[in-house]
Amino acid sequence: MIASRSTFVTVIGIAALGLAACGPSPVDPKRQIGPNPYLPPIHQYLMPPMHVAKIVGWGPGETPTVPAGLKVTALAKGLKNPRSVYVLPNGDVLVVESGGPKAPVNRPKEFVMNWVEKKAHSSSKPGNRILLFRDTNGDGMPELQTVFIDHLTSPFGVVLVGNDLYVADTDAVLRFPYQTGQTSITTPGVKLTDLPGGPIDHHWTKSLTASPDGTKLYAGVGSNSNITENGMPAELGRASIWEIDRATGAHREYATGLRNPNGLQFEPQTHVLWAVVNERDELGPDLVPDYMTSVKEGAFYGWPYSYYGQHIDPRVKPQRPDLVAKAVVPDYALSSHVAPLGMVFNTGSGLPAAYHGGAFVGEHGSWDRQKMNGYKVIYVPFVNGRPSGMAQDVVTGFLTPDDKARGRPVGLALDSKGALLIADDVGNAVWRVSAR
Amino acid sequence: MAGDNPRSTASLAGRPIHAMLAPIPIVCFAGTLVTDLVYWKTATIMWADVSAWLLTVGLIVSILVVLAGIIDFFGDRRVRALRSAWIHGLGNGVALILAIANAFVHSRDAYTSVVPTGLILSALVVLILLVTGWIGSGLVFRHGVGVRPETRS
Repeated sequence: MIASRSTFVTVIGIAALGLAACGPSPVDPKRQIGPNPYLPPIHQYLMPPMHVAKIVGWGPGETPTVPAGLKVTALAKGLKNPRSVYVLPNGDVLVVESGGPKAPVNRPKEFVMNWVEKKAHSSSKPGNRILLFRDTNGDGMPELQTVFIDHLTSPFGVVLVGNDLYVADTDAVLRFPYQTGQTSITTPGVKLTDLPGGPIDHHWTKSLTASPDGTKLYAGVGSNSNITENGMPAELGRASIWEIDRATGAHREYATGLRNPNGLQFEPQTHVLWAVVNERDELGPDLVPDYMTSVKEGAFYGWPYSYYGQHIDPRVKPQRPDLVAKAVVPDYALSSHVAPLGMVFNTGSGLPAAYHGGAFVGEHGSWDRQKMNGYKVIYVPFVNGRPSGMAQDVVTGFLTPDDKARGRPVGLALDSKGALLIADDVGNAVWRVSAR
Repeated sequence: MAGDNPRSTASLAGRPIHAMLAPIPIVCFAGTLVTDLVYWKTATIMWADVSAWLLTVGLIVSILVVLAGIIDFFGDRRVRALRSAWIHGLGNGVALILAIANAFVHSRDAYTSVVPTGLILSALVVLILLVTGWIGSGLVFRHGVGVRPETRS
């Protein structure tokens, strides 16, 4: 009997070791940054690593870390899930406090996932509103704070065109009338168009920008699953960038196959639309690298059928060889699971010359690989409207040395003095990075 | 007469708990194989979801079934004296380990949560259960484990 019991324990022990230990050898993230990332073979775990940073927040006086020549200060603290920032022409800073809708449980796995995600996100109840911060004395720091627009539905993207302020809730683009200098809008928003929202709403952040001529809006609509596990009908209109006519609200899919596109921005030199995209999970710690890319009209970028061109994802059935054949390879990989959610081109001159002309990317950070990746803001140099050279870390220190999260960067913007603003959703702060 | 049969120690009002609950995981794991096969053929995600739920329920009830089985096994020397009781227990132990691994495979997303590994594991579990279930029924119906005939006057 004793023999059989210990045999049983041994068998379970070996099985557990097998689950935990066997994994591919790690890939240096640097090999996955740039136009030609190294793509290791697919590795599907029996028990995928879940390594979520426990949130500890910022202690008194603690700030992120910046290189010499820059300084960082808190523009605002004690917020409720600040997810994105937008700067109005008069210099007022809008901060979108937002949280996603409650995730449904369709499978036993989702019990576990919801619990894990809860750990990774701020425990403070999201504001689901937009705050306004005004610097009245020109020192770069705000003296006035107001609630700009209240009672929104998981808002994320904001863009102003003329006197029309557009807010992308998770389920609709709303238009609000705005006059320069206004500190609060109480007029209810008018719906320009519906966006794919609940009931699942897996990727819920809807990024928003306007074409340089102001006639069109572009909204990032993320997929409704990691990799079609909620069925293809749930993906209608998703994993794409919508082009919305500002006058009529009519829309079409401008580009597709982009799993979770965020940080939509027009590159200032070439006037081409760019996005940062969160790629798929659970193919291993080093697959699939997230990326930033110029977005070509009518192009298909692979999701769900393939990644980086014609690399087939075996989890997707039925396959679509016709679409895979025309899948476009993205421009610039950012390495795996960094979760880029914000991007801004540095059009200003407020920061040192080393940061002129390129793009800052806010990396929310990984949760499904043993060694943390992301949790920082990086700078990607651009030459002639194209990424050129290695990305470099700009704002770090969001993780403690023992992998706990003080904060996680999300949306980015440049303020009227050319300083970089960073929404930090679990640190409940907005950071301002300026020249020293 | 009654005293001759091996006793079921984990029993409720004279009914063995192990035999009462064992059908639940058997049906769940057999059902998992059926819905896996349907998903393999249709790629309709609902069937993969049903498989995952069946597996989970089967595993949760299995905890009680195993506990009752272990109590019965160690509760009466006459049960342990049966060679088939050992085979039944160890075989089900293997099936359970495979079913746990299968639950992890089924927690993957979309097609590879079932095809091919999940489907193979589901089939192996059912094959093992056919054998161990056959032996288990022999323990009751041939060896009378837990059977207490009423004394007739």
